[in-house]
Amino acid sequence: MIIGLLQVSAHSTAQVTLKENAASLEKVLVAIKQQSGYDLFFNRSILKAKARLVIVDVNNVPVEQALQAVFKNQDQLTYSLNGNIISVKEKPEKKSDLVTEGLNPRLEPTLPPTVHGRITNEKGEAVAGVSISIKGGKTIGVTNDDGMFTLTNVPDNAILVFSAVNVETREVALANNPGLKSGASDLNLVLKTKTSVLDEVQMIAYGSTSKRLQTGNVTTVKGEDIAKQPVSNPLLALEGRVPGLFITQANGLPGSGVTVRIQGKNSITKGNDPLYIIDGVPYTSQLLPNFGGPLGGSGGLVINGVADGSGNPLSFINPADIESIDVLKDADATAIYGSRAANGAILITTKRGKAGNTKVDINMQNGWGKVSHKLKLLNTQQYLQMRNEAIKNDGLTPDPNADYDLTLWDTTRNTDWQKVLIGGTAHYTDIHATISGGNTNTQFLIGSGYHRETTVFPGDFADQKGSLNLSLINTSVNQKFRVQLSVNYMVDNNQLPQYDLTSTAIQLAPNAPALYNANGSLNWMPDGNGTSTWLNQDNPLSDLYNTYENKTSNLVSNAVLSYKILPGLELRSNFGYTDLKGNEFTANPLIAVAPENRAGTQRGAGYSNSEINSWIIEPQASFKRNISKGTFEILVGTTISQNKTSFQQLTGSGYNSDNVLEDIKSATSVSIGATGRTVYRYNAVFGRINYNWNEKYILNISARRDGSSRFGTQSQFHNFEAAGLAWVFTKEKLINKVLPFMSFGKLRGSYGTTGSDQIGDYQFMNLYSSFTVGMPYQNINGLQVRGLPNPYLQWEETRKLQFGLDLGFLKDRILLTMNYVHNRSSNELLPYSLPIITGFTNIGATNFPATIQNTAWEFALNTTNIKSKNFTWNSSINLTIPQNKLIAFQNLATSAYASILIIGQPITIGKFYHYSGVDPTTGIYQFTDSHGQLTSSPKPATDHTVLLNSAPTFYGGFQNSFSYKGIRLDFLVQFVKQLGSNNMFGSLGGAAFSSNQPVSVLNRWRNPGDIASIQKYNSDYSLFFHNGDAIGSDAAYSDASYIRLKNLSLSWELPGNWKKKVHFQDCRLFVQGQNLLTITKYDGLDPETKSLLGLPTLKVLTVGLRVGLQ
Amino acid sequence: MKSKNKYYNQASALIYKIKYVGATLLFGLSTLLHPGCKKLVEVAPPTTSINGGNVYNTDATAIAVITAFYAKLGQTTAGGFTGSGGISFLTGLSADELTLNSGISNITQVSYYRNSLSATAAGSEFWVTLYPYIYKCNDAIEGLNNSTTLTPTVKQQLLGEAKFMRACFYFYLINLYGDVPLVASTDYKINALLSRSATAQVYQQIIADLKEAQASLSANYLDGSLTGISSERERPTKWAATALLARVYLYTGDYFNAETQATTLINNSSFGLSLLNNAFLKASLGNKEAIWQLQPINTGHNTEDEWTFKLSNSPAGLNTTHPVYISSLLLNAFELGDNRKANWISSYTTTAIPITTYFYPSKYKSATLNAAVTEYLMVFRLGEQYLIRAEARAQQNNISGAQSDVNAIRTRAGLTNTTASTQPALLTAILHERQVELFTEFGHRWLDLKRTNNINAVMTVVTSQKANGAAWQSYQQLYPISLDEIQKDPNLVQNPGY
Repeated sequence: MIIGLLQVSAHSTAQVTLKENAASLEKVLVAIKQQSGYDLFFNRSILKAKARLVIVDVNNVPVEQALQAVFKNQDQLTYSLNGNIISVKEKPEKKSDLVTEGLNPRLEPTLPPTVHGRITNEKGEAVAGVSISIKGGKTIGVTNDDGMFTLTNVPDNAILVFSAVNVETREVALANNPGLKSGASDLNLVLKTKTSVLDEVQMIAYGSTSKRLQTGNVTTVKGEDIAKQPVSNPLLALEGRVPGLFITQANGLPGSGVTVRIQGKNSITKGNDPLYIIDGVPYTSQLLPNFGGPLGGSGGLVINGVADGSGNPLSFINPADIESIDVLKDADATAIYGSRAANGAILITTKRGKAGNTKVDINMQNGWGKVSHKLKLLNTQQYLQMRNEAIKNDGLTPDPNADYDLTLWDTTRNTDWQKVLIGGTAHYTDIHATISGGNTNTQFLIGSGYHRETTVFPGDFADQKGSLNLSLINTSVNQKFRVQLSVNYMVDNNQLPQYDLTSTAIQLAPNAPALYNANGSLNWMPDGNGTSTWLNQDNPLSDLYNTYENKTSNLVSNAVLSYKILPGLELRSNFGYTDLKGNEFTANPLIAVAPENRAGTQRGAGYSNSEINSWIIEPQASFKRNISKGTFEILVGTTISQNKTSFQQLTGSGYNSDNVLEDIKSATSVSIGATGRTVYRYNAVFGRINYNWNEKYILNISARRDGSSRFGTQSQFHNFEAAGLAWVFTKEKLINKVLPFMSFGKLRGSYGTTGSDQIGDYQFMNLYSSFTVGMPYQNINGLQVRGLPNPYLQWEETRKLQFGLDLGFLKDRILLTMNYVHNRSSNELLPYSLPIITGFTNIGATNFPATIQNTAWEFALNTTNIKSKNFTWNSSINLTIPQNKLIAFQNLATSAYASILIIGQPITIGKFYHYSGVDPTTGIYQFTDSHGQLTSSPKPATDHTVLLNSAPTFYGGFQNSFSYKGIRLDFLVQFVKQLGSNNMFGSLGGAAFSSNQPVSVLNRWRNPGDIASIQKYNSDYSLFFHNGDAIGSDAAYSDASYIRLKNLSLSWELPGNWKKKVHFQDCRLFVQGQNLLTITKYDGLDPETKSLLGLPTLKVLTVGLRVGLQ
Repeated sequence: MKSKNKYYNQASALIYKIKYVGATLLFGLSTLLHPGCKKLVEVAPPTTSINGGNVYNTDATAIAVITAFYAKLGQTTAGGFTGSGGISFLTGLSADELTLNSGISNITQVSYYRNSLSATAAGSEFWVTLYPYIYKCNDAIEGLNNSTTLTPTVKQQLLGEAKFMRACFYFYLINLYGDVPLVASTDYKINALLSRSATAQVYQQIIADLKEAQASLSANYLDGSLTGISSERERPTKWAATALLARVYLYTGDYFNAETQATTLINNSSFGLSLLNNAFLKASLGNKEAIWQLQPINTGHNTEDEWTFKLSNSPAGLNTTHPVYISSLLLNAFELGDNRKANWISSYTTTAIPITTYFYPSKYKSATLNAAVTEYLMVFRLGEQYLIRAEARAQQNNISGAQSDVNAIRTRAGLTNTTASTQPALLTAILHERQVELFTEFGHRWLDLKRTNNINAVMTVVTSQKANGAAWQSYQQLYPISLDEIQKDPNLVQNPGY
């Protein structure tokens, strides 16, 4: 069918403007017709069969010229222009060995001979940056952003090699294709995208690379692995997955602290946190000082007696919004971050839209969490026997005014308080939806999530989060200008009791009375004087009234503008802004106080506000060029940034009702606790040069000059630099021949310096802070000196030397990565411990001539064990064997650190007595002193003869993924070899009625001659210090290694025809679990937290549904 | 050849462009943004703090620094001046004044009570609390001396207060710990390595400080501006320095000077002995006995001492809030008809079986929440000066003078004149009078037992009773320094026995 489109009026001088990127030919022709008024004839069926998509960008050109541009890449169609009539027709058939790709006749052969063409991938998308070289010779061209290239002066018999980072290399011999040689044909080539794990994108500082070309030590965890884990803090999804990264959760409460250490501890006492970068914007590693409730810390600092806040700032990033997390470890990867990345860097990239149909993805899950392990404690009979024995050993009888457990409480009751107080089920609900899509120029994504998580405590507590993630990317049609915007926002409302009930659950006497009276009120169990008889008078459930609420809002936003001014040269700047606001409230109502104490107690409430607000601007220029057989890239940039923090803590007292505690105005008096306001300014220039010679030799050099307001005026600036070198030896012909089974082999090494400025602000200034009290003395608010100042404060410097070997076998089905890490930190920033006679327990920070070395072996092995049509099985295992050592410490013997550090030993050691059982005669613990003699009163100065290290000996993870048709099973087993303090000795040596004990105390000394492991119990504290000595002995530490089924994920994709019926593109049912099984000899609650009295990490199981609509 | 030239021309044009752009870029970066630009990394001091450079430049901020000492002393810090960690409480436990309730499991309290202090658990509280004050005094003295912008009278008064306070802190340090390091500057590099100075040398420093304080301090009680007069006696004056100086001379055996200093106060008409029930009121309520008092600082509270001692106060009875009562030894020390027993001691009787009556110090009366503030913590009072002078006179064999001073105190307590008429008898009588007059006040009993060498005799009996038969050991009269501190300062030696 010939279609004729006639136009009534026409202009012979018509000008046409076209701007299309992959538009249909028909659409473009119609546009020409409309703009020019020309008539247009074509056969729609031919057009449908033979037309190629059109890329065209012409501005006010004559119709003829526009048509030339439109038909430039049409290999089977041409046009004719007669007056005002455009006709489309087929090109005369020409024999070609390539059908969709290949050598196609050009309309007008040009002279001198050149080779033109376009490179696309299997999806038809243009591949930019493909370098074209003559085999065995130099690079002669590179494709532009549309995948187009033009080569001149190509020798007749040349073999052209097309290669790029993420596509497979292809060769085309000119001799076989006379059309190309004569310039009569275009070379349209499809290059397959590489599918090897080696070619997946890895984000690095100010750019991206792949594992194949990486010169540094970087590990990537993909969003899909994070999504399989029911965790609310993305850091927890990294546990066991990244060699060199050790993560510990403070406890099992929602929003708890998380300590992150990359390649060990570099600093004896100062910050050891990595640098977090979210979508290019630095993000805080610690929260500001807060009330924190029971959340536990994240391994932060204590500055001038004020500790970093409890909880973890990454709790305010929704894991479901994350595309990937890249962990940067060595100097090559981190030196460009200069003074901030001595402890490594963690780059978080959030999800972005992709070109294509608009897609809706919804993920819903529901789950349950439980404490997985209970301690074995004395039952009532054993407990009472212990208590009576303790009192009898003193020749006393139970005191009716003190020993309530024996005189007042029902001695026949037996309650498992762990079951009552921490035995509940935490409920999880998580919903996340995204809408994404776009075209080749604009992509968008809108994601939104809701998360709710309750606790295992009795009472109604929950952490609720709502999150929003926006991403918008636009590229101009000419591909030169690009804008990328990402916004992450979360609101969190975390409601918890102020105190973790776990210690009460462990220590409460098993015969303690019922928590509630028959009428439902709290049972205070008063004695004859009306005094409540619980520990400190307080019914354990009264703590549920002492509530803690933390409302946080978090914004992380970034815009990147870039412009390509010349081929290869791009100017770019990112503009980041973050704002983390915390708002806490703690309530201490009278109802939580024993009735007899209420008259003398004021109701209290705490209000705390905090804000971390930062901006960063980083203009950069990058230039990329092919030089000889290599690709040369250079990046220069600068950073200007400011970080402002402020916090204040107010406490009110004297409210007239429990109901008005939230209203500060109802307080009769308000006092201001800690306040803080800091400004941290930071400025730097940085640069990087990368030269990649034929993917065989890669050199990467980076440098940064940093200035920070945290340091004294005398030493505000410093330079950091690093070099990395990689040799892909499998690119060598000889090695290829000798080791044909080796598909990839790379040797790399890097050396450089990074710094740490994690010391807090204003440490170099001599500051006086206000000292406030309830009733100001003579109505004057006092001032007191905050600490000892040090104007010469400098950077802590870490020199990192790392070697790596990456090997791929059997077409990369087996990939092995090994790293040897050798990091040395010097110029240590120490809060130099001082005797109190100096006025302070330490001087905030001094640079100290101490050197700490962290060495490690890191291994990662990824294997595709089975890959068939229906069934695949992938495994990966990683292992880290770290070692920390104090290399040097000037005048250690005479310093305050003499008692805790030893040169040649890890900085994490502790010194302990050597436990030698219980003296059978006296029934008191005995220890082996420094002379090998037994003693019951060891001297701390001389008899700490045993060194124990609390840092892990090795750790890692073992992940397996199976997929069979629509069923997918993933599990991760995490393992850690370490020591931890055990529960053998219990607490208080049995003296107090308020302390139940572990069953280990059944083996206690009772009569002279007894061989026992626990000393005699008595009640008057005279043996208390011996108990303390035992807890400070080697016997109090034992193996806390564990193997944990960290994550299990089983999912089932609905069969295609089912999905069709419900109109889902994607529909998957899943079950996910976290911490499901733990194998350990550790006798505490949890070998991960190693805490004897804190809530352990929970065992969590969720079921859910993921659907995708288009 | 032609095409090669064209390629070359294109390339050189490109290189030129790159050079141009690159140069512009680098120039732009280096001039505008390069980090040599200090302004980008300079910050002003935080708005929440004053800095060392200017704190002593204005009267208000300088006064605020010194005033913070007094506010801080009103806190119930362990090793502080008041409350359940305070000097009256803890030394009262160590000595024969207080009995710790049997159900109390506070290890610090148990350790003081049983005289079982140790380098790792309890005993260094005063060391740890008082030395930071010494630093602050030194810092203030340096800062004030260097300041040229303060009002001269303000500067003089503040210097006097800082020196007086330094003397006061050292007084307690040497009396609790024996020889102690004498810290003379704020240089931590020197101070961190100090060893102990002989007690006599520390006393020399104390006396020198007190003499300078006497010369600098105002004779009037000043308000917070240091220019106006206060009706309270909450800032140290010449008289506070004199009171401490009298005590120090007594402790060092300089009886002539002790008498002289005490006489200055006794003869000063601003001071007098109040009625027993008024002796601990704040000065503005007509209490002339006060020489220096500390204003309560906790909202809704009078003194923290009474807050700790008063058993009848909520939560009533013996518990973790009120863990102690008066020992039978102290209770039995009162003579028949001594009004101090009736007026300065109260009792609480349990309602449950076994019904028991416990006695507690009630020199201060008020421990009711939100009651009007009527009582200030008494640090120095005239009653002590009479007993200082009595002892100084007795030591100088001025029997009648000593008798008349003791009798002044006894008369106020409703007792007849002392019957002691020889020097040894008088000294014994004065020690006894101090026990019942100054009980649970600032460690007088513990310090008296030590300085009069009665401690071993008394404590051998007392410790055994308190500690379930454990024996008193003479070394226990000095408190230990914590192991941590010993380890941090290689030149610091532990007290013997610990």
